[in-house]
Amino acid sequence: MAAGRYTARDIKVMEGLEAVRKRPGMYIGGTGRAGLHHLLWELVDNAVDEAMNGYASHIQVILHKDARTASVVDNGRGIPVGIHPKFKKSALELVFTTLHAGGKFDQGSYVTSGGLHGVGASVVNALSSSLTVTVRREGAEWRQEYRRGKPRGDVRQVGPARGSGTRIQFTPDEQIFGERAFDPDKVREQLDVKAFLNPGLRIVLRDEARGVTHELQHEGGLRDYLEHLLKRSQQRSILGEPFVLEREDGGAVNGGGFPLPVKLSLALHWTESPKEQLLSFVNGIPTQDGGTHEQGFRDAVVKAVRSWADTHEKFPRNLKVSAEDIREGLVGIISLFLVEPQFQGQTKDKLNNPEVRGQIDQMLRAALEQWLHEHGTAADLIVSRAIQAARARMASRAAVQQVRRKSPVSRRLNLPGKLADCSSNDPTISEIFIVEGDSAGGSAKQGRDRETMAILPLRGKVLNAEQATVAKVRGNNELSDLVRALGCGMGKDLDLSRLRYHRVILLMDADSDGHHIATLLLTFFYRYLPELIHQGHVYLAQPPLYRITGGKKTWWAADDREKERILARLPARVKPEIMRFKGLGEMMPRTLFETTLDPRRRRLLQVTIPEGHRSDTEVVISSLLGRDPSARYKEIMARAGEVEELDV
Amino acid sequence: MNGIEPVALHEATRRRYVNYALSVITARALPDVRDGLKPVQRRILYAMFHNLRLLPEGRFRKSAAVVGEAMAKYHPHGDTSIYDAMVRMAQPFSLLHPLVDGHGNFGSPDGDAAAAMRYTECKLTPIALELLRELRQRTVDFRPTYDGQLFEPIVLPARFPQLLVNGSEGIAVGMATRVPPHSLREVIDACLLLIDNPEATVPELCRKLKGPDFPTGGLILNDRADLVSIYETGSGPVRVQGTWELEKRGRKHFVVVTSIPYAQNKASLIEKIGALVAARKVPQLQDVRDESTEICRIVLELRRRDDAQAAMAYLFKHTPLQQTYHVNLTALCPQRGAEVPVPARLDLRTLLRHWLRFRFDAVRRRFEFELQKLRERIHILEGFEIIFVDLDEAIRIIRASEGRRDASERLMDRFGLDDLQTDAILDLKLYRLSRLEILEIRQELDEKRSEAERIEAILAEERGIWGVVREELVQLRASFGKPRRTRIGASDEDELDYRDDAYIVAEDTFVILTRDGWIKRQSSFTDISRIRIREGDEIAWLIRASTRSSMAFFSDQGRAYVMKVDDIPATTGYGGPVQKHFQFADRERVVGVQSFDPRNLPLLPPSAADPPAPGAQAALPLSASEAPAEPPPPWGLAVSLRGRTARFALMAHSEPSTRAGRKYMRVSGADDGVVAVYPCVGEEHVSLASERGRVLSFPATDVNLIRGAGKGVLAMKLRPEDRILAFELSAERGGGAVVHTERGREVVVTPRRYGASRAGRGAVVLKRGRFVRWDREPVVILDEQGEE
Repeated sequence: MAAGRYTARDIKVMEGLEAVRKRPGMYIGGTGRAGLHHLLWELVDNAVDEAMNGYASHIQVILHKDARTASVVDNGRGIPVGIHPKFKKSALELVFTTLHAGGKFDQGSYVTSGGLHGVGASVVNALSSSLTVTVRREGAEWRQEYRRGKPRGDVRQVGPARGSGTRIQFTPDEQIFGERAFDPDKVREQLDVKAFLNPGLRIVLRDEARGVTHELQHEGGLRDYLEHLLKRSQQRSILGEPFVLEREDGGAVNGGGFPLPVKLSLALHWTESPKEQLLSFVNGIPTQDGGTHEQGFRDAVVKAVRSWADTHEKFPRNLKVSAEDIREGLVGIISLFLVEPQFQGQTKDKLNNPEVRGQIDQMLRAALEQWLHEHGTAADLIVSRAIQAARARMASRAAVQQVRRKSPVSRRLNLPGKLADCSSNDPTISEIFIVEGDSAGGSAKQGRDRETMAILPLRGKVLNAEQATVAKVRGNNELSDLVRALGCGMGKDLDLSRLRYHRVILLMDADSDGHHIATLLLTFFYRYLPELIHQGHVYLAQPPLYRITGGKKTWWAADDREKERILARLPARVKPEIMRFKGLGEMMPRTLFETTLDPRRRRLLQVTIPEGHRSDTEVVISSLLGRDPSARYKEIMARAGEVEELDV
Repeated sequence: MNGIEPVALHEATRRRYVNYALSVITARALPDVRDGLKPVQRRILYAMFHNLRLLPEGRFRKSAAVVGEAMAKYHPHGDTSIYDAMVRMAQPFSLLHPLVDGHGNFGSPDGDAAAAMRYTECKLTPIALELLRELRQRTVDFRPTYDGQLFEPIVLPARFPQLLVNGSEGIAVGMATRVPPHSLREVIDACLLLIDNPEATVPELCRKLKGPDFPTGGLILNDRADLVSIYETGSGPVRVQGTWELEKRGRKHFVVVTSIPYAQNKASLIEKIGALVAARKVPQLQDVRDESTEICRIVLELRRRDDAQAAMAYLFKHTPLQQTYHVNLTALCPQRGAEVPVPARLDLRTLLRHWLRFRFDAVRRRFEFELQKLRERIHILEGFEIIFVDLDEAIRIIRASEGRRDASERLMDRFGLDDLQTDAILDLKLYRLSRLEILEIRQELDEKRSEAERIEAILAEERGIWGVVREELVQLRASFGKPRRTRIGASDEDELDYRDDAYIVAEDTFVILTRDGWIKRQSSFTDISRIRIREGDEIAWLIRASTRSSMAFFSDQGRAYVMKVDDIPATTGYGGPVQKHFQFADRERVVGVQSFDPRNLPLLPPSAADPPAPGAQAALPLSASEAPAEPPPPWGLAVSLRGRTARFALMAHSEPSTRAGRKYMRVSGADDGVVAVYPCVGEEHVSLASERGRVLSFPATDVNLIRGAGKGVLAMKLRPEDRILAFELSAERGGGAVVHTERGREVVVTPRRYGASRAGRGAVVLKRGRFVRWDREPVVILDEQGEE
């Protein structure tokens, strides 16, 4: 054709089924595996439509020996074989050879159907190298054969028959699909879904290549389907039984003038899985890309659960539970039958009817809410599940924020912000000093050896791990910062191989509050990181007890003996001033290093639990720091005499 | 690595913890029984007195100066805790006799915080001086401060029992203290009694010291015996109420609250009252206003004058307008031989004796100090006297000597004086050599000698010192005593009657319960069909009842849930699910409702309404011996799915239940359940239909009365797979349950047609097929049935 000459003659009207063969993708989505199977589903759906409308109870699908030929058999009414008054052809032939011929355009013979464009049977025919249809009705059996959509003769009566039904045997055209064969497992799975969606419908799959027959029938409908899904994904429902809703509103019209779905079935429950899984079907056809019905479903579930939780005041005030939190772990199936479904594309992957969203929302919400009210146990489980999800979400967001706060160059991303880390990565030579308060923390930071000493300042008194609940301990900022700095986890997750410092040194002021904080930290380690103590990783630093000033010089004494020694050395004319040491912040950073931090000069106490003192340890911790004030009182009074130095 | 020593966890923990605990107990949270002060308070007062000289007659200084002085020299802790402690000592609503005179905003009873310490100013109050003035007379011991630079008093020489007068509160480790304030006059009276009679008992002391006296006033409800036992044990609850009076302005009546319980935040109290008024929990009140100035004045507007009692009863029960103050008389007490005082919980007598002992010692030491000063003066004066006898000789010696040292030695040699005396002589001014002077010296010597004798006499006997203690207390009482502010002991008119009913506005309302179990009430409706219910739901009960009556909801699980009609949500919306009010089991449903509004109780037949006549008992299916114990009508009658029935006393369920409800009948297992519950007076007939087509009717009195929740008796003998579908109680012989077959045929189970006896198999109405539907009309009770 010469360039530019584009005339009326070039406009080609493809007649009959030619168009289908030219552009199969438009009708069946493609010519691959999915397209091939789509042929079968078109025919199966026709049979199921017959069943759904109450005319058939039994469908048989046969995969023949060659694996490329299949038959679909139903015991429905049989496609009419009479001559069509307008087209002067057998109706049967019309159905198979003309696009947009079919019985589903108006609601006379079918109320709802999966097929709606009237192209199913003719498309299959067009794309099959051979197709034979056999109809039994009105006491006789009729047959017609086609090659690539073209009839090989008229519809003829082949003999008398009892009952009614349709049988279609077809072989997809290898010119279009190549040598592809049907996948019996996939076929079986899909047929199984059909059986679930149409409770009571019996589907038999005969796989002649393997010589096996599957009977597919599920009286329980979606309830069974849901169970089947769970079993397949090895999940367990957190509820005893699923929520199931079955509604038939044939012909009813809602407030907006839209017809309600003729039939709505729906089943749902929650699992421990963090995912949400929703399967939806419209008129028996899976809508893989969701659509308005799924939106309505989601809205309704969230609103119903929220409403129940609000009525019973179950959501904690300080926690925002989002829609996603409520739907976490939700597994649901929704199947609805619409008179006039609108899909995107012939492959029907997404429902478009705008009114459906509101309708489903309304129907499901009211019913689910009521069900929750009547099943308080289940409702409680669902709501705690959502709260748990919200908490987890908050925790992970906090963790992300923590990471963002860190400098971008730091490799140790998950460390608390106020940790002044050491430069060494070798845990065996690294030490961490846990310091009371920011004023002492400053001295320690400036005075330390940066190579091996990390400083973590804590603010004020830490939580008493002996009295707090596990959840509270885990939620406590100061303690979780500490655990993150140590890197080894706590409780069940304790893993000492990840410990980042082999010496964990508690450096507290030598006053009563410092003593208190030290006991609180020891209690926390003992309860939540006991191995840390058993392996000898926990130490107490020994800051000096006295400051001695004589003339212009200052000495620090770690204990009374040292104090006496220093005093003895002083010249007689100097009047020494002895002061009880109060806080680490009093010292110059240099002095702190020399007296307390310097590994060559310092003294450390290594905390141990000696053999034979395990029960003593338990008794001391639980009585002094536990919840019982009378035990504490007794222990304090019993030991009051042993105390050497008291703060005034 | 050197320098590492092992330490056992339990020892390290114990040593440190006990050190911490004792530090807090002995030097932070508890007051000393002698001066009633905690260390921080004592140090603030000492700094104000000794370092800054902030005396009452002097001028004010910035609080920051006081805090800084106390912190730097005596109290090495946070500045906020020091300032907070100081502020409290200045608050006339915290302390009965404030020790700090504050200038500026020192907070309010509304919980407003004081202004920052850089703004406020302060000095000591006159009564604070009574804690400090004897410091210079060596009445108490001192110890070095924390840094060894200075000395501070271990306790202040309190001239009155500060601990009881101003009270104290603190939480230590393993113990706490809570001493309420007391009237100074009464405390001193109790001290005087104990001085006069050291054997006085706590009840005797309590005749003087009547009970706590809060600076905020109020009314103590405990009776005398109660208070005595608190002072005997050192602990116990004191119940305190705000006081109130009636006022009339124009045509309106008001309650004016003139005081609130001690340590209550007035602003948040008013907020709470306001919330209750707004929520219509106290229908007697219309409005709340805070008209307080320095005087507490909370104005509550009444609807009617007579409402005051009920309104106040409600507020006392539901707001902190009535509070319990838990007394715990724990303090640090000096112990013989111990350097550090030890904590102890004290009874009133021990507490006062501790203070009196301390006071006795202080007075003794004060006199000893004065005596010493006197003796020193007498010694000097005696030197003068000797010199003046031979004055010329003395002058000659001085003039002849070489310098002061030489003069001093010569004088000592010549007159037999010591160096203290000669020093004083040499310091004399020349004019004092006049003739008059010797007379003055002799006079002073006489005075000093007699004063010394007087003090010696006092010191010679304990009685003497006690006399001084006593006298000084009497003086103190006169100059600082104030009338009591808190009234003690509730009179009859203070005892308000609290009745739940009083707070419900009595009105008729329509209670609606749907088949799905949604409940609400509304005050009116135009038409039943216009009452709003959820889509697909239907009204099952619509009952008119008073808000003051109660209503029972009988569930299919055999539980009766009862609530006040007033507590049913009043709304024209959908209302709420019954599960919101009660703890229903899964799938549990309401199958019967009974209003206990007297008008809705079934009208009793004449025979039952009267006390049973002796002959009437024969009609009842019980033997005469059991009859007297039988609960009277009205009864409730229930039938279960499995065909059992029970008759029980309806009035047993008239009082509101807990969320868990009360059992009225036992049903067997999960697949059984009560079909329906109706009120009955004995003249009705039970009308039953089973799913499999059997029907039966029999008189309600054939059903045995059960006490407690029982399984009941057989109503109708069913085949194992059969269940009761319908149950009605019909008063007429022509009425009964209406059921439908699968094919739509209607059957009415009337006593007239199907009457038989209880526990039969029933008449066979359907050979095949089933009854599938029971026409259950909504129960609508709108008219008064039982009215006069």
